[in-house]
Amino acid sequence: MTRDDIEKQVLEIFLREFEVDNPDMDANLREAYEFDSIDAIELLLEIEKFLGSELSQDEKKQAMDIRTLRQVCDYIEHLARVRNLIGQKG
Amino acid sequence: MEGGGLRYLKHACAFGVTLLLWAYFLFGYLVLLPVFFLPYVVANRSAAAAFQKLNHLHLRNFFGLVRIFIPRTDFDIAPEIRSLRASILVCNHVSYLDPILLVSLYARQTTIVKSTFFRVPIFGWFLKKAGYIPSSPDEMTGAAMIANLESIKAHLAAGGNLFVFPEGTRSRDGRVGDFNRGVFSIARYCNQDVHLLMIRNTDGLFRPGAFTFNVFEPRTIAMDYLGRFKTAQGDDGQSVGAMAAQAQAIFERETARGRLRTQTEEPACDN
Repeated sequence: MTRDDIEKQVLEIFLREFEVDNPDMDANLREAYEFDSIDAIELLLEIEKFLGSELSQDEKKQAMDIRTLRQVCDYIEHLARVRNLIGQKG
Repeated sequence: MEGGGLRYLKHACAFGVTLLLWAYFLFGYLVLLPVFFLPYVVANRSAAAAFQKLNHLHLRNFFGLVRIFIPRTDFDIAPEIRSLRASILVCNHVSYLDPILLVSLYARQTTIVKSTFFRVPIFGWFLKKAGYIPSSPDEMTGAAMIANLESIKAHLAAGGNLFVFPEGTRSRDGRVGDFNRGVFSIARYCNQDVHLLMIRNTDGLFRPGAFTFNVFEPRTIAMDYLGRFKTAQGDDGQSVGAMAAQAQAIFERETARGRLRTQTEEPACDN
């Protein structure tokens, strides 16, 4: 898994689940795309599916401070590193 | 035609029954529950489970009194509803009696409650102790939301039910309001399906805006099981918004039909 894989996956999730096409990576998700707490739950579930493992309660709480898509990618990259997924194929 | 004297007598009777029922209701929260509940708080044992059980017993007695003092009201609760455990229940909402009725059915239950109720003295304290969840934005965003979701997950794992009125508030005219998609998101988070329950005629017994119970009119308060709604997130899974819209359409269809459940009917959904 690479940073590019993560960004590609995040864009796919936002298109499929939230109908957000070609989003601005640095826009505030709440203000620009009306992203709310229910969407945040959906995003967490999608991230779990992508990583293939459940997130701990603390990891989920950390996600609640995220404001932009770039931060979403940073967050997933951090989780992937903790799980030794960065650099692995598939 | 009813004479003025008879009408007055009926009003007086309805007023008396109402007073008695609400007096018992309040007596339970002010006296009965504190007496039985305090030992749990002092011993720091599972206060939430204890309160839920006591609340359930208190409100079961409340409906016992309703049966005695309003004998023309029958209850027809589908057996599959009574047997639900460790489940998420989605209901329409037509009367203040709806949450009370649901609590009277299940010993372990939690729900999402308007945050204003948490500010009511004593009652609000009980709600908090019972583990009920305030619907305020503060509780449904950020880290607090994750903590609440995890506590719902634990509650379900312990065999409790979560019931939610996705309309958020009572219908004043019997029509189904717009569904909030939150409960479907909760269901996905907890990896649970939701069960759709239709409550009928509680608004006939206690009309929105009325002060007294409708004591003399015959009616059957029914709870129909509309089916299980799958929420699992597969590759072809629906969005939570689409699920909320679909569930709302099922309730609207059932409301329009206005039919009562019969034993031979098929569940209305099994998507």
